[in-house]
Amino acid sequence: MSTSTHPDRVGEVIAASTTDFVAQCYELYQSPPLGSLVKTRDGSVELYGVVYNATTTSLEPGRRPIARGKDEASEEGIYRQSPQLMKLFRSEFSTLVVGHRQDDRLYHYLPPKPARIHGFVYLCPPAEVKDFSQSFDFLNILISNPLPISNDELVAAVLRQMSQAYEDQHDFLVAAARELAILLSGQLSQLKAILGRIRP
Amino acid sequence: MSLDLSKLAAQVGGMVARLRVGTEERNRRRQYALEIAASQAIDLADLKRKIAISRGKITWLVADLLDGLSQGCEAPPPPSEFNVLATDGSHIDVDRHKSTRCYLINIGAAWLHYGAEPSAFLDSFPRLYAEDKDLVVVPTRGREQPIEGTLLGIKRAVEECHQLAELAAGLPPDSPLLALVDGSLILWGLEAYPDFVTGAMLGEGFLRHLEELRKLGKQRRLALASYISFPRSTDVVNVLRLALCPYEPTDCDLNCPPGKEKECDKVAGVQDRELFFNLLGEGQRSPVFISQSSVVRKHYGEHQVCFSYIRLEDEVARIEMPKWVATDESLLNLVHSLVLDQCWRGLGYPVALSEAHEQAVITTADRENFWQLVESSLVAERLPTLTSAKSQSKRTRWI
Repeated sequence: MSTSTHPDRVGEVIAASTTDFVAQCYELYQSPPLGSLVKTRDGSVELYGVVYNATTTSLEPGRRPIARGKDEASEEGIYRQSPQLMKLFRSEFSTLVVGHRQDDRLYHYLPPKPARIHGFVYLCPPAEVKDFSQSFDFLNILISNPLPISNDELVAAVLRQMSQAYEDQHDFLVAAARELAILLSGQLSQLKAILGRIRP
Repeated sequence: MSLDLSKLAAQVGGMVARLRVGTEERNRRRQYALEIAASQAIDLADLKRKIAISRGKITWLVADLLDGLSQGCEAPPPPSEFNVLATDGSHIDVDRHKSTRCYLINIGAAWLHYGAEPSAFLDSFPRLYAEDKDLVVVPTRGREQPIEGTLLGIKRAVEECHQLAELAAGLPPDSPLLALVDGSLILWGLEAYPDFVTGAMLGEGFLRHLEELRKLGKQRRLALASYISFPRSTDVVNVLRLALCPYEPTDCDLNCPPGKEKECDKVAGVQDRELFFNLLGEGQRSPVFISQSSVVRKHYGEHQVCFSYIRLEDEVARIEMPKWVATDESLLNLVHSLVLDQCWRGLGYPVALSEAHEQAVITTADRENFWQLVESSLVAERLPTLTSAKSQSKRTRWI
C-alpha cells in the first residue's frame, strides 16, 4: 500500500481505548522508533501518543513462522526465495495517549474520547514535537501508567526522541531531568535509572 | 456426549492386526509390480496395441501410454524469472434447515513472482449464490438439478479454474507462468449426473476456462497443471495388469468371472505412487500417460487429461495437465521444474497452492459468522428468519 499521500503517515489505528491505541504499519517493520511522538485525528480533536511497544507477528494466529535460512547466505535471500512472506506478517505499534489538541490549544492530559478505528497515524515533525514538549506535564502519564515495558525505559526513550527536535539537546534534557527530580522526589532509584538512560 | 473412544479401542486394534497380516502379501505384490514395470522384456508397442483393442472390455481404469512406462526423466533448472499462480476453493453448502436457500464459494488465490524483483499477491474472492439460476441447473426438458453436495464441489472446481483464467489474463506476460490448481483436472463426480449437468459444468464452465488459458498461452509461455498429493490412482499399475493378462483381447467379464483366480491379481492393490516411489530418483518425473476416464474421453476434446508422477523427497505427487501442455516439451519441462521448485520452497508441497488454500479456507467460526450475518440482515429488513426445529435443537442442547 502506498503512503505517498503523506510522507509521515506511518499506520492506521486498529484498536483504541481512552488511554492508548494500536496502529498497524503500512509497511512491514516500519514502526516508528520507541518513544516517538505520533498523532491521529478524531474529528476536530488531534490525539497525541508515544510509541511504547512494537510487534511483528503472523497475520493469522495459528500460523507460526519457521526457520528458513539454513541454506541461505543472507537474511534478504530468505525473503527473495519466498516473496509471499512480506504478505503474511504484520507490524503493529502501541502508543500511550499523552495529550490532545483542540481548537488550536494543546492539552497534556487525556482527550475526551479514544482514537477512531482506521484513523491515520502520523509521525509528528520536529516542530510539532518541540511545540508539544514545551510542557513536561505529559511525563506524569508516562510514569504512572502500567505498561508491558518498564516505565523508566519509556520515559527515557521519549525524552531521547524529543531531544532530537532541539538544536541544544543538552538543555532540553537538563530541563526534563529537573522536572523528573520533582516528580520522582521520593523514588531516587527510579530517577537514577532514568537519568542514566538519557545522559547525552 | 463425546465419542466414546474406549468402545473403539478394540476395533482399532483389530484393524491394525489385519493390516499387519496383509503387509507381507502387499510387499510381495509391489515387488512383483516393480519387476514387471522395469522389465526390458515389455514391448511398449505391443502393450499400446493391447490397451487399444481391450478398451471398453476392462473393469479397471488403464492409462494410455504416450512415451514409455517406467523411465525417469530429470527436471531442467527453472528459468531465472517466473510466475506461479494458484487457486483453491472452499464452500458453505446449502443448508436446508436455514430460512434462506443459498451457498457460498470462496476462491483463494496466490500469485508469486520469482526473479530479480520478487513479489506476491494473495487474495480471496468470496461469492454468494442465491439467485434461482445459481441454485439449479435447468434442462431443456425434465427435472432440474439442485446445485448442492457433490455438484457444488464440482461447481467449486469450475470456479477455481475460472478465477485462475481471469487472474492469469491480468498478469504481465514477460516471464513464464505456471497456473496450478489443487486436485484433479478430471471432474469425476460428473459421471453420476445427466448430460445437461455435464454440459453446464464442463462445456459452459470448466472446459471454457481451460480454453481461455490455452489461448492465453499463445501470447505467453503458460503451462496449466493440477497437483495431487498422495494420489491413490492405479492407472499405471493397471497397465501392468493388462501386460500380465494371458487373454487377447483382455475381456474381464468374459474370461474372468467372479471367484476365478486371475493372473493380474499378482499386482492387485498396488498403487501407482508405490511403483514410482521406487522406480524414480528424487526430482525425476515418470513418462506422461493419458487418462482413459470416460468423462475425459467423451467430453474433454483437445483438453484431454494427461498425467505424470513426480518423485519428491518423501512422496510421489500426481501432476495432471491438458494434452496441449503434456505434448509441448517446453511446457512439460516448465511444469516439472516449477512444481519441483515449489515443493522445495514449500517443504514438500507447492507453496503457491498452500497459500491459495490459506486464503480460501472457511473455518467453523467463519461459517457461524456467515449465517449470523445472513440472519441479522434478514431481521434488519423485517424478513422472516424461520429455521427448522432440528437445527434449533442442535443449537440449544438442553437436558
